[in-house]
Amino acid sequence: MKKSVYKSAMSRVKTSEDFKEETYQKLMQELDKTTQTTETNHSNQKERFKMERAKKKTLAGWTVGIAACAVLSVSIFTMNQNAPTVTPQPTTGITQPPISGKASVNIEGVISEVSADGKSFKVGDLWVTVAPETELGIKGPTAAEPSEELLQKEFKVGNIVTGYTSQDVSTGKVTADVIYNNMAPQKDAGVNPPTTGKAAVNIEGVITEVSVDGNSFKVGDLWVTVTPDTELGIGGPTAAEPSEELLQKEFKVGNIVSGFTTEDVGTGKVNATNIYNNMVPQK
Amino acid sequence: MYNSLELNESVRQALDLHSQSLIKIAFAYLKNIADAEEVAQEVFLAYLQKRPVFENSEHEKAWLIRTTINKSKNMLKTGWFKSRNPVPEDLSYLPREENDVLQAVLALDKKYRIPIHLHYYEGYSIQEIAAILQSKPATVGTWLARGRLILKEKIGGLEDEEICL
Repeated sequence: MKKSVYKSAMSRVKTSEDFKEETYQKLMQELDKTTQTTETNHSNQKERFKMERAKKKTLAGWTVGIAACAVLSVSIFTMNQNAPTVTPQPTTGITQPPISGKASVNIEGVISEVSADGKSFKVGDLWVTVAPETELGIKGPTAAEPSEELLQKEFKVGNIVTGYTSQDVSTGKVTADVIYNNMAPQKDAGVNPPTTGKAAVNIEGVITEVSVDGNSFKVGDLWVTVTPDTELGIGGPTAAEPSEELLQKEFKVGNIVSGFTTEDVGTGKVNATNIYNNMVPQK
Repeated sequence: MYNSLELNESVRQALDLHSQSLIKIAFAYLKNIADAEEVAQEVFLAYLQKRPVFENSEHEKAWLIRTTINKSKNMLKTGWFKSRNPVPEDLSYLPREENDVLQAVLALDKKYRIPIHLHYYEGYSIQEIAAILQSKPATVGTWLARGRLILKEKIGGLEDEEICL
């Protein structure tokens, strides 16, 4: 046995193609889960602490309770006053919003104006500021992966935004609590969505140069390196038996190679993911 | 300590760099790719949860290999693994010579198989293997020599190969 035979055999043992991606996604899910658990524990501790303090200040609690009841009563009374009636109500000089409790208001619409610093935008009549504490994207265990398409980094005029704020919208200027989406409007329904993910590029042509160690060769303007991770030959249940004729061990100038890489060919130097053939040209 | 972004990046890098090595080591142990991939996933999960700090990339790789070996051993000990009767991994797509060699190595006792794998596939020296397997270099040398002897009887070769001490 030569050393290289075992190494080559082990290198060729097939593993799942999407192992890395699947594992990475699993790990990220685990990381999210851990973060959520930590946050829950933290808020539980806070609540316990608050409860202990509340016990000590029973009197203060009662006062707050009565005040809350009073506020609620006033709110209900005001709401009833604002209920639609058959006869139109004359416009009164009410400037304050009728509800004084904290409520979330949706932010939804098309951006009509963006501030110079790019951190505020106008939707309808409302100026919305995106602060560092604003949560971006949709969170939760069943949420889809955040995408650049649905949540662009920059707020631009014409973009469609969704989110909410718990601040008083009657002031005309609020800070967003959460921004779920910031999408560019679709220009043409017929246009295909941008392709994301890793693309494979074919390696095909005649070898014009070979490196000293014999592990790299040049096809066109591209230097291709064959690493231990490079799969050699054509795999699959229906593939023909690998033959010395179609897949020579040595890469020589003039040989015709075919395969593909998932790396960026723009760099001019890539590692081959798969080499299907390495043939001597027919004389 | 890592922040989560750095951790994501370091895990991503470790996945890119070492996933194949870890799967192959676990495969050398368990003789089954599906189980080997499961073990490798558990190793990366342990990496994420324990957040170990490494001196350099070699230290990181050695930790990952050590953890893979431990997790493979644990899997071998589990009841469900012992009780099942798995179909042997189909390696018929390999060229005949490579298939023979791989089957011969996989048939070795694991105390010989793992040092052979670490030396011939990962290119580790006896000292490095001894550190990873937490054994004495002399013991590792003996395992390698015996493993090679058995392989020589089965498939020939290896007589003029030496391992650097």
